Amino acid sequence: MEFAWTREQENYRRRVQAALAELLPPDWDQVYVPQSYASDAQIEFSRTFCAELAKRGLLVPHWPKQYGGNDGSDWEHFILGEEMKAAGEPRGPQYMNVNWIGPTLMRFGDEAQRREHLLRIAGGTVIWCQGFSEPGAGTDLAALKARAERRGDHYVINGSKIWTSYARKADWCFLLARTGSGRKEVSVFLIPMSTPGISVTSFPGLIKDGHLNEVFLTDVEVPASARLGEEGAAWKIITYALSYERVGVPRYHSGLAALDRAIEQLKRENRFEDPVMQSRAGLIVAKFEAARLLTYRVVDRRVKRLPDESAGNLSRIAALEAVEDLMDFLAQYLPDCLAGGDPLLEDYYRINIPAGITGGTNELQLDLVASRALGLTRK
Amino acid sequence: MDFQLTEEQAALVAALQDILADHAELPQSARLRAHCYNPDLQRLLQENGYLNAGRHIGLLEAALIVMEVAKLPTVVELGASALVAPGLLPEVELPAPIALLAGRDLSRAHRNLPVARTALIDLGDDVAVVGVEAENVAPVDSVLAYPYGRFVRAPDLARAQRLRGQGPLLRQWWRVALAAEYAGAAQAAIAYTLTHVKQRHVFGHPIGAFQAVQHRLVQCHIAACGVRDLTLQAAWSGSPYDADMAACHAQQHVKKLLVDLHQFTGAMGVTNEFLLHFWTYRLRALQTEAGGMVDAALAIAQRRWPLAAAEAT
Repeated sequence: MEFAWTREQENYRRRVQAALAELLPPDWDQVYVPQSYASDAQIEFSRTFCAELAKRGLLVPHWPKQYGGNDGSDWEHFILGEEMKAAGEPRGPQYMNVNWIGPTLMRFGDEAQRREHLLRIAGGTVIWCQGFSEPGAGTDLAALKARAERRGDHYVINGSKIWTSYARKADWCFLLARTGSGRKEVSVFLIPMSTPGISVTSFPGLIKDGHLNEVFLTDVEVPASARLGEEGAAWKIITYALSYERVGVPRYHSGLAALDRAIEQLKRENRFEDPVMQSRAGLIVAKFEAARLLTYRVVDRRVKRLPDESAGNLSRIAALEAVEDLMDFLAQYLPDCLAGGDPLLEDYYRINIPAGITGGTNELQLDLVASRALGLTRK
Repeated sequence: MDFQLTEEQAALVAALQDILADHAELPQSARLRAHCYNPDLQRLLQENGYLNAGRHIGLLEAALIVMEVAKLPTVVELGASALVAPGLLPEVELPAPIALLAGRDLSRAHRNLPVARTALIDLGDDVAVVGVEAENVAPVDSVLAYPYGRFVRAPDLARAQRLRGQGPLLRQWWRVALAAEYAGAAQAAIAYTLTHVKQRHVFGHPIGAFQAVQHRLVQCHIAACGVRDLTLQAAWSGSPYDADMAACHAQQHVKKLLVDLHQFTGAMGVTNEFLLHFWTYRLRALQTEAGGMVDAALAIAQRRWPLAAAEAT
């Protein structure tokens, strides 16, 4: 048992921090971060930023060399994610590419699909969106209605997707569509967003711009070669993909960075002497640190190629509890951050409003831990 | 980062589990009591060197031992002997069992005092080391699942051995020790509750088949897992900040575990013969120790964001 970073890992973290210092523009915190990582401005910025990261071997270090990586460890990838998240996620939507879209393509893609996508993702210039949720199918994905009808050597897709972050600027969509009448007869398609018949509309919401989009698919014709894996194999594929997605966002790291920032503000206002405030902040730190260790356990299991056993779901639930406490702390002690005050704290708050919903609702995570870790069956 | 036990650590735990297996069941005579201190197991662990593992192997290994023993329904005093004393006095072996006392009110009842041979008293800056004579302790009845007792005559602190400036170090290892006991007891309490909710049926289904029950049990499980990892980290690092976090996380989840685990075991859970209280009322006892949740949280805040530094900047 060992709780320290190796010297190589510490050096690696410093390398990532140095790259951030070099590549982020001076007005990054003032101009870009407040717009959120899903904004058009940040998405466009990510195309140049990620390309520069790629040149430095810091975009997909954990990928195999043949796909543009460096055969690095999962720990390197994780350290990278921590630093990026704490900096306001300058990779924009491309964090998704390297966290789970790429690994999923490596596992389930055919040779042509790997050739087509992986090197482009590793180059840092391509934007993907995730076409999962629909107006009537969010947590219960199996209720989705978008349909892909096979016609000879191609499919014709009709339906709509909603809550599709980044869709306005995305080049590609990782899309789920029904290919049979059974509840789970669903397939994955990799489709260019420029395909005729696709349109995107945006609508306002509590979270920042760029997340709330609706994608309409009207007689969208795609070749059969756009299907990922076998027809009807979507569940196997997205279960694999989500196991990466769930540990892909180190919420404890960005949460602690936001809390540090809030406390600095409270100190400047000479308000942090209040012991009630101090103890509330201390309780939140303990929760975030517990979430950090539970998340590291997941990475450790992955590095050792041990089964996940719902450790990813567990760490996500733990982090969410701390995030919710922090949001409440911000709203109580620094309400100004939601009304024109610190834009970074506002961004933290607003981006986390749906934290218990995105990537699989908290209730779903609780269900999974109940069945897989505690051996409880549902009535 | 490596969360797997080394071969040596795994062997240590396995050997301990072999010993504990013979003590997993409570004697029939103890099943209706509020607590069950096991002097035979205490002696056995002492004779086999487990109380000195912190000195001879390491404090992480000592924490693993404390956690494992805390899974039993029976009580053994290990936290203070195996973790606090070696952390505080690595070169000196104090007579065990050891009671840990807050010095601000010595007249109240203290955990483990009736079985202790030594008391370490937290005086703020300093620590007093006091020998405990059995005839000077009056046992106290309590729902808390440890032996509790009061001094008949208050110890003479003026004549006690005083460890100058060691108060913070005592509280640091006290926090690690209480969190280690908590982690083991919480895991055992959850496992015991899980067995119940899988077997007991209501409205035609096991209690544990209801989502409202499942989700709360998962939250208890996650709290216990978090305490386990924070405790092991604190024992490994020897950092007071890590110790604060382990205790703080443990103590802030006491209410959650007590309320939920007793809720799901229903009326059975309020009887002495249903063993749950042997673990949950240890958690309750640990809730206020070493300053409790608020002091631990304040310590975290003051270490992370020292006010003096803020003024300097």
